[in-house]
Amino acid sequence: MRTSTTTTSSGITLSTKSCRIKFARRFLRSLAEIKKQKRSSASSSEEEICKRSKRIKMAAYSSMARAVGPRMNWSRALLFKLRNRVSYPRLVKKKKRVTVRSNKVPRSKSSVHIDRGNKLRKLVPGGKSMDYICLLEETAHYITCLNTQVKVMQAIADNLSK
Amino acid sequence: MDMSEKDKFELENRNEEPMNYSPSMTYGFGGSNLTNASMDLVPTGNSMADSKEDLIGSSSQPSASMVESFSPALWDHPTNAQNMGFCDINGQTSASTSNTMGIRKGIPASLRSGIDRPLDMCWNPPNSMLKGGIFLPNGPAGMLPQSLSQFPADSGFIERAARFSCFNGGNFSDMMNPFVVPESMSLYSKGGGMMQWAVAGQGTKAMSSNELNQVGDASNEVSLPIDHGATDGSPLKNEKKSESLVKSHDEAKNAMDGSGNESDEADFSGGAEEPSMMEDTGVGPSSKGSKKRKRSGQANELDQTKIAAHQSVESTKDDTEMVQKGASTTNKTTGRLVKQGSQTSDPPKEEYIHVRARRGQATNSHSLAERVRREKISERMKFLQDLVPGCSKVTGKAVMLDEIINYVQSLQRQVEFLSMKLATVNPRLDLNIESLLEKDILQSRVGPSSSMGFSPDMHIAYPPLHPSQSGLIQAGLPGMGSSSDLLRRAMGSQMAPMTGGFKEPSQLSNVWEDELQNVFQMSYGTGTPSNSQDVDGSGTPGHMKVEL
Repeated sequence: MRTSTTTTSSGITLSTKSCRIKFARRFLRSLAEIKKQKRSSASSSEEEICKRSKRIKMAAYSSMARAVGPRMNWSRALLFKLRNRVSYPRLVKKKKRVTVRSNKVPRSKSSVHIDRGNKLRKLVPGGKSMDYICLLEETAHYITCLNTQVKVMQAIADNLSK
Repeated sequence: MDMSEKDKFELENRNEEPMNYSPSMTYGFGGSNLTNASMDLVPTGNSMADSKEDLIGSSSQPSASMVESFSPALWDHPTNAQNMGFCDINGQTSASTSNTMGIRKGIPASLRSGIDRPLDMCWNPPNSMLKGGIFLPNGPAGMLPQSLSQFPADSGFIERAARFSCFNGGNFSDMMNPFVVPESMSLYSKGGGMMQWAVAGQGTKAMSSNELNQVGDASNEVSLPIDHGATDGSPLKNEKKSESLVKSHDEAKNAMDGSGNESDEADFSGGAEEPSMMEDTGVGPSSKGSKKRKRSGQANELDQTKIAAHQSVESTKDDTEMVQKGASTTNKTTGRLVKQGSQTSDPPKEEYIHVRARRGQATNSHSLAERVRREKISERMKFLQDLVPGCSKVTGKAVMLDEIINYVQSLQRQVEFLSMKLATVNPRLDLNIESLLEKDILQSRVGPSSSMGFSPDMHIAYPPLHPSQSGLIQAGLPGMGSSSDLLRRAMGSQMAPMTGGFKEPSQLSNVWEDELQNVFQMSYGTGTPSNSQDVDGSGTPGHMKVEL
């Protein structure tokens, strides 16, 4: 695993270890809640599982965003989106920032960044409102957090399924 | 680095600047004007030599080197600065040279780095050490202390400083003595010895750079060349000598640039000068002068230190650029400097990133800004390259970006899949598991198997992972059996969104599961049971690939 702390060029320190711990705690708590619901309902139909998995996914993302804190753009945007989604499930829409050609024919060198930048914007929460350079920074941080998230969830799944 | 400190220093320096440097200093570097300069320098040379000696004696420490670099600067000024009334520093050579780097008594306690503290201590005594009109003005002394305080606790810097101190094989006293040292002093005589250090430059670029910086040329900015390893100073420096004094700093810097690493130190020394220069240029105490410099491995740290130390406006238009942000005290845009081809693109303003055009490149502000942007982007791309596995071999931004996008997508899919898995897992144990899990998670996490997770979407884009994973892949066959239900359900539920219904997820999932099992059996044999859930279907990507 990577070093526990990474520092981007801009000085954003990614402390994965503490991030991991915080995330694990929050996620486990929310997981417990969801499990309680499952037990009470006691239905294991596919739909229920589907819903539950979505809830778990949202819990994972929100706990990760909270663990990170408000210092990153993507965490704030993620929390905002999740909150809105809860109340308005279908009102959250994404606007296309730049029309991207379906066939990626690079018109010029700059278009490389533009095209992929738009793609990244869709992937990274809150990416729409950031300039390209910030987007790259946020992507780096987001990737490390996703990594820790996956690892924690994997470990939990391993433990639970033993 | 401490920007606030720098600011403080800047202010201090500003106050003192008018005294320190007079634009009238004209050191003929061309080699033909030695006499004048030498004459001026001679009287101070002795005292300087002495003090330098003392300083140098203690040069074992990096701080010492810095002091050394600075002290000459101060001494140089006396030629002009005799009238400045610096007489603060009395030529009391402190015996204890080991730590007597402190040029300035009043060095702010803000020096925080490890180097700074010893420097702080060291600096004080040297004040008294300086003799003969070389005065580190305590009051006006902003220059040195400022730069000193801003020395970064950079190990690279320390090395350079040490190297610097070891300049000339430790026979520093000779160098110091203007009369004795032929090479080094020649420059010294020419231009206050800045150049000569550079010329002498035997690898102690810092020295030269310091010298250069210290030459009180207000208009000159201290260039922070970060050409590490370019230690070919002398020819380059010789060239520089020919330029006018106005450009002398530039030249010195160029020379220093050639020398590379030491340039960092030069920066600091330059910083000392700069306050005075800043005054001359009339630049307000705004922090400026973030010079744009090339980023080297140590650039970041150095940059910061340079920003702190770097108060002079001028920077030679070297090929190296350093990017410095923040409250640099350097007064960058002294219009009066006429440098070859480099013009500061931004007017001196606070909190601007000042960029200096590289030699031989367009000085259009747009192109400069673009270059800054491009450098930033490439920097971040490098960082991302480290994060994304398997991207070290990839060259080119387009492919890199594609890889990054794919990686983010795959991670998100993994999260989704794992959430499904967790949803289907029966909570056999109670949630006291939390504590157990936490322990587990915190400890065992590093397992590569866990990192892979089970991703139904086999990302072929990450083949490098697969070979490494194969050994670890816990084929999970033992676990597979028990979790077949889970797997089926997970696959089914995951397939459901794709198929838009539950028509055939079970069938599909069964098929998948069988295939998976086969695959794993074939590829991995019996993996360790611990990571039963880790199934990396890299063996047969074709089977595993799920188009989401």
